Amino acid sequence: MSGSTVPNLNNPPMHTLNVEEVRKQYEDTLAVDNVSFEARPGRILGLLGPNGAGKSSTIRMITYITTPDAGRIRFGGEEVGPGTQSRMGYLPEERGLYPKMKVGEQLVLFGELKGLTRQQAKDQAAAWLDRFDARSWVDKATNELSKGMQQKIQFIATILHRPELLILDEPFGGLDPINADLLQSVIMELKDSGCTIVFASHRMEQVEQLCDDICLVSKGQIVLQGTLNEVKKRFGRNTLEIDFEDGDAFIDKVEASGSARVSARSRRHAQFQLAEGARPRDILNLALSDVGELIRFELMELPMREIFVQAVTRTQGADAVAENAGGAA
Amino acid sequence: MNKMMVIARSEFMTRVRSRWFILTTLLGPIALIGFFVVVALVSINSLETGEQEIAVVDNSGVLLSRLEHDQITFTRATEPPDSLRQHVLRGDIDGFLVIPDDVSNGEEIVWYSDSGGGSLMNGDLRGTLRSAVRALRVDEQEVDPVVYDAITADVPISSVQLTQDGDERGNVGAYAVIGGIMGFLLYMAMLIYGSVVMQGVMQEKQNRVVEIMVSSLRPSELLMGKVLGIGAMGLVQMTFWAILIAGGTLLSGVIVGLVVDPVSVQLPASASNQEVLAAMDFQIPALDPIVFVLFVVYFLGGYLLYATLFAAIGSSVEQQQDAQGIMLPVMLPIILSIMFMQTVIEKPDSTLAVVLSLIPFTSPIPMVVRVAMIDVPVWELTASLALMVLFIYGAIWMAGRIYRVGILSYGKKPTLRDLARWVRQA
Repeated sequence: MSGSTVPNLNNPPMHTLNVEEVRKQYEDTLAVDNVSFEARPGRILGLLGPNGAGKSSTIRMITYITTPDAGRIRFGGEEVGPGTQSRMGYLPEERGLYPKMKVGEQLVLFGELKGLTRQQAKDQAAAWLDRFDARSWVDKATNELSKGMQQKIQFIATILHRPELLILDEPFGGLDPINADLLQSVIMELKDSGCTIVFASHRMEQVEQLCDDICLVSKGQIVLQGTLNEVKKRFGRNTLEIDFEDGDAFIDKVEASGSARVSARSRRHAQFQLAEGARPRDILNLALSDVGELIRFELMELPMREIFVQAVTRTQGADAVAENAGGAA
Repeated sequence: MNKMMVIARSEFMTRVRSRWFILTTLLGPIALIGFFVVVALVSINSLETGEQEIAVVDNSGVLLSRLEHDQITFTRATEPPDSLRQHVLRGDIDGFLVIPDDVSNGEEIVWYSDSGGGSLMNGDLRGTLRSAVRALRVDEQEVDPVVYDAITADVPISSVQLTQDGDERGNVGAYAVIGGIMGFLLYMAMLIYGSVVMQGVMQEKQNRVVEIMVSSLRPSELLMGKVLGIGAMGLVQMTFWAILIAGGTLLSGVIVGLVVDPVSVQLPASASNQEVLAAMDFQIPALDPIVFVLFVVYFLGGYLLYATLFAAIGSSVEQQQDAQGIMLPVMLPIILSIMFMQTVIEKPDSTLAVVLSLIPFTSPIPMVVRVAMIDVPVWELTASLALMVLFIYGAIWMAGRIYRVGILSYGKKPTLRDLARWVRQA
């Protein structure tokens, strides 16, 4: 345990989350296999991975709901445990509130469980309900609220106690764009105030917008890790996006020429992955000869979505090959 | 505030304000009183329909005039047995008696009715016939009626129980009734509050709130907070009822009067409650306060033991139906102890009663019954309570382990073997 400072609601102490060589086995599946990463204060770490990759298992260990079989997890130098639990906020993917309890009581309960006094919890609940334009819901039972409203309440319950570590699993699910923006601005504020944030999501646009760092897990292992910029650089500026009107015959011509692979297409949009040594201007020429109008032509970095797919299929492909070999032997 | 207490407080407050709590607290006694009223009405009714009509074929020629009963009319049969038979079956009369020539020397009287040896035969009719035949014999033997009365005068018997501290107490029957009521209350309390805990745990898991909860406190704190909060609710409810019962103790006389068959205390079945109570020498018995203390102690002990186990079961399943199979081994001891309650009441110092009141899973009900009835040796109480405390610790330990795994496991219906594995691996 390091000498952590006295918590201060206005200026929370800034701490790093260290996950070190963590393993977790469930019956006969190895859910988390030797995973290490760190999430730093004032930054958002995107914890990504396909379903069943071990994200939830990892999060449960960080939140001290379960404990690792091997390795350790520290927050601000302190091994996670009851002590760190009250300094973190966790918004699970599967939402949960007491359906018959009033919103106000519910928030106060969650606040108290995080170590606030009853009065502090009441004050914070009131302040946050105001911020989310939801003051009038205080005396409503949760099951009277719409999904989106419940979602906001759940989020308030997560941040009521000004956590130093925030773990958000799909926080935007069920929110309309206006409320999603509101939520995002609050998350950004928390980040700017020095909060350490772990963000798990399958929505790659959001990851790209919010995250500073990336940690991609697949089959219990980390397959990709680094700052968002680093990771994107690693995948190169080889993606070509074209928006157009009328005439998409050029897409097949490009593919036939062997200079690029089509990674996405629709009636007015095409995305290519350039082959080694291919020149964008050749593709532009092919396009210009076909399309009615060219709207956009951009050479860009690989989008997160594509990076995710590539990184995951690469590992799963390798496994599939290994499995086949094993079967043949 | 301690996190466990935060949960306990929240559980208590939300439940005490719930409609379920208010309804059961208020309606419980009303339902109970209603039940007794129904019983009373039914028995009064059965007494009043006692305007019975009986035809008598009196071959002796001397007995009919001696048959007297204020609710049974005996009339001389004017028709042959075959047509009497028809009358009975048609319901014109309740039955007919055939009295033999030599009735005073032990020849058999035969009673024909469509209910055979039903309640009428067992109660009033038998008594009436017996006294008539006896009176006939007294006359025939020329016994002085004064002598006869002297011989047959009531022999009052009452039982007095010797106790360690020298206070001898009478009317053991009343203590048995109180013991029985307390035992039954405990049975209800353990089952109902236990299943409230189980429901609560199950709902938390269904709503997925539990995942948020255990990211804020230890599963064992959540478990025990829940158990304590609901236990406090139960205690409030029981206290409320206890006050009502104390207020309505006068009612216990009525209840005893209804339960006890007047014939068993040598009174005619038509005897009023007061007469029965007087015959039984019944008065509201004074209970040693220690009985109440022990009742509360065993209530808490039994509740803690069972509620933690019920909570563990609730945590392992996703829906009620899945719980049935795993619940049986937990329910069995409760059911056993209520099944054996009658035996314990009959012989509160038997080996069976002692053993049952020592084993923690069965001890609350028999021990409370025994404490209400007799002076239970101090060593038995000490041993029973010590074992109880030990088992509660064990149950909390085991339930905590099952709970920790259970609340996060979805998808498949667990078996007892799964639970055992969770205890080992957690």
